[in-house]
Amino acid sequence: MTIEEQVREIIAKITRVDKSIITRESTFKEIKADSLDVVQALVAVEETFGIEIPDEEAQKFQNFGDFVTYVENKVAQGQKV
Amino acid sequence: MSLEGKLALVTGSGRGIGRAIALKFASQGADIVVNFFRHRESAEQTARDVEALGVKAEVIRANVGDAAKIDELFDMIGNKFGRLDILINNAASGVGRPMADIDVKAWEWTMDINVRACLLCAQKAAKLMEGRGGKIVSISSLGSRFVLPNYTVVGVSKAALEALTRYLAIELAPRGICVNAIAASAVETEALKFYFKEGLVKDSHQATPAGRMVIPEDVANVVAFLCSEEAFMIRGQTVVIDGGTSVGVFALAGKQE
Repeated sequence: MTIEEQVREIIAKITRVDKSIITRESTFKEIKADSLDVVQALVAVEETFGIEIPDEEAQKFQNFGDFVTYVENKVAQGQKV
Repeated sequence: MSLEGKLALVTGSGRGIGRAIALKFASQGADIVVNFFRHRESAEQTARDVEALGVKAEVIRANVGDAAKIDELFDMIGNKFGRLDILINNAASGVGRPMADIDVKAWEWTMDINVRACLLCAQKAAKLMEGRGGKIVSISSLGSRFVLPNYTVVGVSKAALEALTRYLAIELAPRGICVNAIAASAVETEALKFYFKEGLVKDSHQATPAGRMVIPEDVANVVAFLCSEEAFMIRGQTVVIDGGTSVGVFALAGKQE
C-alpha cells in the first residue's frame, strides 16, 4: 500500500467517511474532519510512519494532497521522532 | 526560595503557563524536563531559555493522553536522572463545544489528557520520589466550578482533577509528597487566543477587580510557592488565582469604581 493510501485509510477511519471521497484536492472541511479529527489523524500518521509533524507545519496543509506530500517527504528523509 | 539541585517535570511546557513555570523553577535553580506534544520549536525555545538561567533542560516529546507514552516519558526520566522532585501536571487539551455536541471521542480525548494523565503521571512520579519526598501541582481552571460557554467537557475534567488532587494529597502524604492544584481564571496565553474570541478576553479584563487579566507569571509564582517548603502544610487544596473575579459580583453588577 502506498503512503497516500495508508494516510487515506487513517483519515477515513477517524472521520468515518468513505475513503473513495477523499481525493488529493479534498479539504479537511470537505472530509468532515473537525479540529480534533485532524489532531488524531496527525498522531496516527506520526505513529504509523515514525515521523513528527509539528502543528506549525500541519497548519499549512490546505488539503489532503498537502498532507500526503508532507508525509512522503518526511518518510523519504527517514526522519524519526 | 531555592530549588537548587531539584529536578522538575512540567508537562506541556513549550508555551504559556507551563513555560512560565519552567522558567520560574529554573530561576530558582531546578533542572527542568520540558515535555511537549505538538509544538517542538516552542519546547526547544523553552529549553534554551531554561539553560540560559544556568540549569539543565531535557526536552521529551510525549502525548500524555496516551498511557503508553506516559510510561515512555517516565522511563526516560528514570533512566537519565533516576529521580524526580517536582511534577507539574500542566498539559491540557479540550474540545470547545456546547453540551449537545459533545461525543464520546471529544469526551475521552479531553478526559484522558486533563484527568487520567494526571493520575498516571502522579503514580509514576511517586515512584521516582520514593524516599526523598516531592511536590505535585496540577493546573485546573475556574471552569471547574463556574459555567463558561462551550467549556462543558473541559470544566468537568477540571472538577475531576481537583477531586483527584484531594485524593492524591491524602494517599501520598505518608510518602512525603505534597499535592495541590491551582485554578486560574482566563490567563493571557496563545491557547486562550485560540479558544476564545477577542470579546471574552475583554470581558475578563473588565470583570477582574485586580484590574488586569491573569498572566502566566502570576500562576508560576503561586506554583513555585506550593513547591516550596514554606507550603508544607498546604495539602489537597486548589488555590484560586483570578484577581478577585470569583469572590465578587462583578459579572452581575459590573466593576466597582
